[in-house]
Amino acid sequence: MIRKKRKFMPALTLMLVMSIVLSACGGGKNEGEGTAEKPVELIWYTIGTPQKDVDKVMKEVSKYTAEKIGVTIKMNMIDWGDYSQKLQVMTASGEAVDIMFTSSWAFDYVQSARKGAFMQIDDLLKEHGQGIIDTLDPAFLEGSKVDGHNYGIPANKELPAQEVWRFNKQYVDKYKLDISKATTLESLEPMLKLIKENEPGVYPFAVDKNQMPNVPYDYIIEKLPMAVSLDTKDYKIVNVLDTPEMKQALNTMHKYYKAGYIPTEAATMDSMTDVQTTGKWFSDRATTQPFADNLWSASYGYPVVSTPASDALIYNWSVMGSMQAISANSKYPEKAMEFLNLLNTDPVLRNMIDSGIEGVHYKKTSDNVMENLPEAKNYDMPTFSLGNVMLTYLNSTDPANKWEEFKKFNDAGKEAPLLGFNFDPTKVTTEIAAVQNVKEEFWAPLMTGTVDPEVYLKRANDKLKAAGLDKIMAEAQRQLDEWRAANK
Amino acid sequence: MGALGRFFKDINKNKAMLIMVLPATLWFIFFSYLPMAGMVIAFKEYRYSRDGFLASIIQSKWVGLQNFKFLFSTNDAYIITRNTVLYNIFFIVLGLVIAVAMAIMLAEITNKKLAKVYQTGMFLPYFLSWVIVGYFAFSFLSLDKGVVNHMFSWFGIDPVNWYSDPTYWPIIIVVVFLWKSVGYNSVIYLAAIMGIDKSLYEAAMIDGANKWQQIRNITIPMLTPLITILTLLAIGKIFYADFGLFYQVPRDSGTLYSVTNVIDTYVYRGLKSTGEIGMSTAAGLYQSIIGFVLVITSNGIVRKFNKDNALF
Amino acid sequence: MSVENVGKAKSRDFHKLTPIWNIGFHSVAGIFALLCVFPFLFVTIISFTDESTLAKNGYSLFPEKWSLEAYSYLFKAGDQLLRSYGVTIAVTVIGTVIGVVFTALFAYAISRRSFKYRGFFAFFAFFTMLFNGGLVPTYIVVTQLLGLKDSIWALILPLAVNAFYIMILRTFFSTMVPDAIIESGKIDGAGEFGIFFKLVLPLSLPGLATIALFSTLGYWNDWFNALLYINTPNLVPLQSMLMRIENSMQFIMQNSQNASLSMGVLQSMPQDTSRMAMVVLATGPIVFAYPFFQRYFIQGLTVGAVKE
Repeated sequence: MIRKKRKFMPALTLMLVMSIVLSACGGGKNEGEGTAEKPVELIWYTIGTPQKDVDKVMKEVSKYTAEKIGVTIKMNMIDWGDYSQKLQVMTASGEAVDIMFTSSWAFDYVQSARKGAFMQIDDLLKEHGQGIIDTLDPAFLEGSKVDGHNYGIPANKELPAQEVWRFNKQYVDKYKLDISKATTLESLEPMLKLIKENEPGVYPFAVDKNQMPNVPYDYIIEKLPMAVSLDTKDYKIVNVLDTPEMKQALNTMHKYYKAGYIPTEAATMDSMTDVQTTGKWFSDRATTQPFADNLWSASYGYPVVSTPASDALIYNWSVMGSMQAISANSKYPEKAMEFLNLLNTDPVLRNMIDSGIEGVHYKKTSDNVMENLPEAKNYDMPTFSLGNVMLTYLNSTDPANKWEEFKKFNDAGKEAPLLGFNFDPTKVTTEIAAVQNVKEEFWAPLMTGTVDPEVYLKRANDKLKAAGLDKIMAEAQRQLDEWRAANK
Repeated sequence: MGALGRFFKDINKNKAMLIMVLPATLWFIFFSYLPMAGMVIAFKEYRYSRDGFLASIIQSKWVGLQNFKFLFSTNDAYIITRNTVLYNIFFIVLGLVIAVAMAIMLAEITNKKLAKVYQTGMFLPYFLSWVIVGYFAFSFLSLDKGVVNHMFSWFGIDPVNWYSDPTYWPIIIVVVFLWKSVGYNSVIYLAAIMGIDKSLYEAAMIDGANKWQQIRNITIPMLTPLITILTLLAIGKIFYADFGLFYQVPRDSGTLYSVTNVIDTYVYRGLKSTGEIGMSTAAGLYQSIIGFVLVITSNGIVRKFNKDNALF
Repeated sequence: MSVENVGKAKSRDFHKLTPIWNIGFHSVAGIFALLCVFPFLFVTIISFTDESTLAKNGYSLFPEKWSLEAYSYLFKAGDQLLRSYGVTIAVTVIGTVIGVVFTALFAYAISRRSFKYRGFFAFFAFFTMLFNGGLVPTYIVVTQLLGLKDSIWALILPLAVNAFYIMILRTFFSTMVPDAIIESGKIDGAGEFGIFFKLVLPLSLPGLATIALFSTLGYWNDWFNALLYINTPNLVPLQSMLMRIENSMQFIMQNSQNASLSMGVLQSMPQDTSRMAMVVLATGPIVFAYPFFQRYFIQGLTVGAVKE
């Protein structure tokens, strides 16, 4: 938590007192609260489309948690697109919240932790979260430290990120292709060519503006061109756009673009959902998890197969994919931690939160397999955002060894060099704002192969330099060196 | 005591008026002036305190004008300012001319039922969010599926890659803006025309004035106060840009930034990854101050000519 | 109605256009109106298009296959949709009434030359158009100082007054209401409020109708206040409900690289057609309400005609 020394004039103190009155934070803690007889209410904000039966389920949940740890739960769901903004406003204004969802992609965890939105939980975790420490792969807690401290509990789920080439199986079968031959970006060429020549109307390589070639570098800030090589020894930060790997990849992409393998408007396409609905694509790249092929096939309605395009690596962002944090102004931090501990270790609670009330929203068909009942449509929660997924019951369509495979996948993951290092941009916010604008200008056209890298790489680099990229890199290098010295 | 006494006498004399302004004044205090204290964030590196908002403000570090720097520090600063101001000038001038012309036409059309239908139709674009407008623009301008390129092919014209060629975008942006806003703005003018005393026109008819003379000598002069006020207010917003128009409609295409990047999109893109409230507040304050200076200046000029047409 | 007809008939006598001009005006206004209506028609057609046909052929005026799928997705929410309509209508009606009253009173006062502090109050209002404290301070005033979180007033009050409307209405008052009328009221012994309600308001109907219309549209289209202040599903207005869906779709699409996210929720998301259906559902009622406001413009004309 960031706390400044308090040194203000009396007038300001008066304002402070007013603010405390205003924010109604003055309530002291009563003795004997937080027991089964007198439970305390925890306010929990989490991401996802609000579900009709949340209050109903939370009533049941509260009965269970009051009994166990003396808390009741008030859950507020905020829809995907609104979550970041709403939580930013709420935390900036100091609203009363106890637990909130945070991650690398919605309501940015590192940023919010640095600004003081979350409570530092190093000690709380040891005292009231022993179960979490035992269950979670240590890489989760290690990788989600900000400036050496923990501010949130990552959900136990897939830990590393692995890229795969995905193929529309229909065409793989039709042309009897051997997808195991697909390893590098370049290796795709013969297949793309074949599809281009024989299947008009099908995108051989479905790329949208969010895609970028996979190069063996670990980025300091996602999609800003500063990174260290994955097999770095000296941890030198380089401009990714200057690296031979990126140059080669961009040349290849441009070649593919000119050959018509890539959609002509890739640089401005938000997503490929239309194409995925119709199945008019042959290959693309995606991030995987165990049994992902099944999920993809089920959601598109036709078979999809995949083959690895990269190693499984544990990045900062993959560790922080889904977390729960305790608010800095929570009145009951211990209770909140006890609850999070229970959520991550107790299958009864975890499944109640995930699937609702047994016999109403779902029924169990065996010890760890369940089946949704019609009422489940009123309580359809995003499983990965609500703590330990490996406690959740399987669906009848899931393979029995699903969670074992997840564990294997996690164990096989290698740590990326920057795991645990989080860049603090405070000193270079001005430069970052400028560099971001330059980056956005060139990124998608370059990465999708739309423009010629021979011409545009230089232009982009010149503008990035003018915007202050070097200064950011120097600052990042300084912080990185300090971090390494401290973590040797 | 003389001054104070006079003050109370004034208050008493203006009692009824003061009661009239009271409700809205209270509203302004609560919803505008109290939150304005938050502008101080623009000069702070804002960090949260667990003791609430005021404590956060007090405890956050002063950083002087640091938060403003990103608006001026790069070559882009010139481009975004130029784009914002130029587009707004076009919007103000063309928007005004077309909306007034449209309002006059609607008022003159003899078939009032049809006029109503037209007016309702012109209003519809106002309801479409920029995201949806963006889709439409795309269905026209898409490289392979777009209607425009389709039509070009009938005439043997080469297809244009609209979303990567900045040449046409200044026109596209202005057209889309006008399309979306003219209907809405013409309502104000139409209402003003409806309120003009009809006896003026009768007198003109008796004097033998034709339609055009009536419009020029009665309608336009009667609209002048309204036109002046609306233009003054628009000048105050000259450093603001409609985010959706410049972000969604060009599909955030990087190659178009030279003509589509405006202050608001620049701030959005720049702060996406750091999310500094201080810097976004600073950007807002910068826009406000420039707007304020411009309005005060132009208001002063208007006052010189006609005191009644000025804002205050 | 009959008064209106008289007014119309009367105005037609001296208000005639030459046929050529009439045709010219008709075609310009008509074509522009058509250009404006067209996308809306298009939206409606798309909303009834079959989703896979859309993905295959793109937007088309004459889709191969029609479907009600999009609406059934939205109506699945069922009573939620109805309740949201209810909230929106309540907020719009109450808000517009409050807004018009506050705005008219303030605007009238600062339009009067006899009001000593008119300059101060005009500036007081104008200043708020340019300067604002930003999101977070406003949020704190509404939730912590006024305690409006999760209350319907949080949807009404923040939009009630708007300096822009005040400035417009002030101009209407000062151009449309001759000083002579106010003076005559004074001579008759009416108080300021009496003059305002009995003499000024009836003359200013077009102006008031404009403000009421804008205010109505403002409330109808508002979704941001609900995003900030409302958690209870029962109080979520229509636009907000639809915007949430739209924002969330965009968000998920943009984060489609995120494995857990895309695998967890993408399949349950509505598609393009539902988005268009949302526009139709959200806009339809207000479009039909529009002619109602227009009547007041026409009545304003009538009043003007009767006046002489």
